[in-house]
Amino acid sequence: MKTLEWKSIGQALSIVLKAAVLILFIFPFLWMISTSLQTLRETMAFPPTWIPASPQWGNFVEAMNAGPFLTYFKNSVVVTGSIIILQFLVMIPAAYAFAKYKFPGKTVLFGMILLAFMIPGQVTFIPVYLMMAEWGLVKTLLPQIIPFVSNAFGIFLLRQYFMQIPEEIIEAARLDNASEFNIMRKIMIPMSGPALATIALFSFVSHWNDYFWPLVMTDSAAVRPLTLGIAMLRETEGISNWHIIMAGNVMLVVPILLVYLFCSKHIVKAFVYSGIK
Amino acid sequence: MASIEFVKVSKYFDRQPVIQDLDLKIEDGTFTVLVGPSGCGKTTLLRMIAGIDPQTSGTVLIDGKDVTRIAPGKRGVAMVFQNYAIYPTMSVRENIEFGLVNNKVPKAERTRLVETIGETVGLADYLDRKPSTLSGGQRQRVALARAMVKNPSVFLMDEPLSNLDAKLRVQMRIELIELHKKLGTTFVYVTHDQVEAMSMADTIVLMNKGVIQQEAPPEVVYRKPSNLFAAQFIGVPPMNIAPLGEDRSTFGFRPENAVLAAEPGSFHFSAKGEIATREMLGSETIYQVKTGDGRSFMVKCPDDIFHVDQEVYLGVPADKLFFFGADGNRIEERDARYLDFLERLRGQSHG
Repeated sequence: MKTLEWKSIGQALSIVLKAAVLILFIFPFLWMISTSLQTLRETMAFPPTWIPASPQWGNFVEAMNAGPFLTYFKNSVVVTGSIIILQFLVMIPAAYAFAKYKFPGKTVLFGMILLAFMIPGQVTFIPVYLMMAEWGLVKTLLPQIIPFVSNAFGIFLLRQYFMQIPEEIIEAARLDNASEFNIMRKIMIPMSGPALATIALFSFVSHWNDYFWPLVMTDSAAVRPLTLGIAMLRETEGISNWHIIMAGNVMLVVPILLVYLFCSKHIVKAFVYSGIK
Repeated sequence: MASIEFVKVSKYFDRQPVIQDLDLKIEDGTFTVLVGPSGCGKTTLLRMIAGIDPQTSGTVLIDGKDVTRIAPGKRGVAMVFQNYAIYPTMSVRENIEFGLVNNKVPKAERTRLVETIGETVGLADYLDRKPSTLSGGQRQRVALARAMVKNPSVFLMDEPLSNLDAKLRVQMRIELIELHKKLGTTFVYVTHDQVEAMSMADTIVLMNKGVIQQEAPPEVVYRKPSNLFAAQFIGVPPMNIAPLGEDRSTFGFRPENAVLAAEPGSFHFSAKGEIATREMLGSETIYQVKTGDGRSFMVKCPDDIFHVDQEVYLGVPADKLFFFGADGNRIEERDARYLDFLERLRGQSHG
């Protein structure tokens, strides 16, 4: 009887803790959505307004009209999309070579990739900017793309995943006269779906949300991404238009939530190895 | 159709020699089984033929042509792997078809070939299934179909039956013999199981530590093993071996050639002992007989008439005895030492 009681207390405690964590994570999102639908007066009120009296959908229009929103959005899509595509083009062959080939200098090269993984952007941004300026690329989107073409974390994660694919499958494909390119395309990539989805998601989130790098690398609205555009909403007036900023933020976050909804199932798989039979 | 020839072939792994200066010819159209304990180099040989792990030095010839510089996919060989190595993300059809697609076989021809082979191996109803929904035996058939569809001149098989249960293994053994008969292609089959080797092979290539111990048809390996290793590797239970005199020479006899009796008989070799263990297997019974001087012999009898601890007389006729010199090689009947050894053994007989 006693153990039963303790068990139910434990269960109740676990539910309370989970709920607390859930609220902690979801609260900022709800607050953001609520604020995005309030009037300026409501955002300033105390005690704070939780549910706006009448939702101000116009805030979204205002946020979009405050600057060249479509250009920002397009820049974000082009930069993030290009980075992901180029990363895949570099990462898949690199991970395949590191996982399945023997070649001199392999350990050293892989060590260098891990090292690159550990250097933060803040260390390299000045030389990279100077280089981009010298090449006359600052007025283009390239400074936001080129430095991220190689994804050290992605190469590392994908290599680990490729290493679990049995050697015999690749040997069987070679005996089936498959080229190395076809082995990657028809065998390695389909077998690594979860890992690729995870890498794509991480890469998407970090570059879609990136603020620091584009802030340094851009000097005109024509090449700025959405993060900078939304940050600039703050500077348009003397007081902060929190309802407009939050409307912009909602628009910034929605694509991430959509991508996450599609990828979440695969992500769990990539980290919990289920075995390839 | 093709013969395979190894000429002075060596293979090193991390500077460790696995095979050194090996010569072997596998005749066109034969079913050759490479057999030996694990680590003997049999799979290494197979992988050299396939080209997926080429030799360090020497030449491998397929149909008289040096294939050293030819890629695995262009050698005209097909291989069935121990774990089947089926492409898990492709359907059965795509698995079978993959080699044909890579060889640019037209679609209509491909479909026809896949359906014919699917019919042959009994997978016609499973062509659009994913391998993960198939049983072990069916996966095995996918691997076979994938090899067959390319119409290779050489079939390589690396322990293809070892992941199947005992009953299915026996059935697949028969199917492979039939397949070989039907195709008439060169089969090279690797196994550590001497029963598989004996049952399927035209020629057994028995290997140990990277060296060929004997290369002969199964009945020859059984009746005239070239050395102690061959004598003890082939046959269940293995040949009984006991020392013969001081010079490390030995004699032996097969468990099925010894006779047990309650009374002493008139055999060339005889010994008195006690039954230590008894294994009743149905059609036969295997006894372990321990003699007074501490030796132990296995005897296979068709009858089950003795019991444990019973005193028995073990006898072996002269023509069923084998003799091995100090170097481990078998001494043949025409060898001058043969009669001498036979005499020596008569002197040792007890009971």
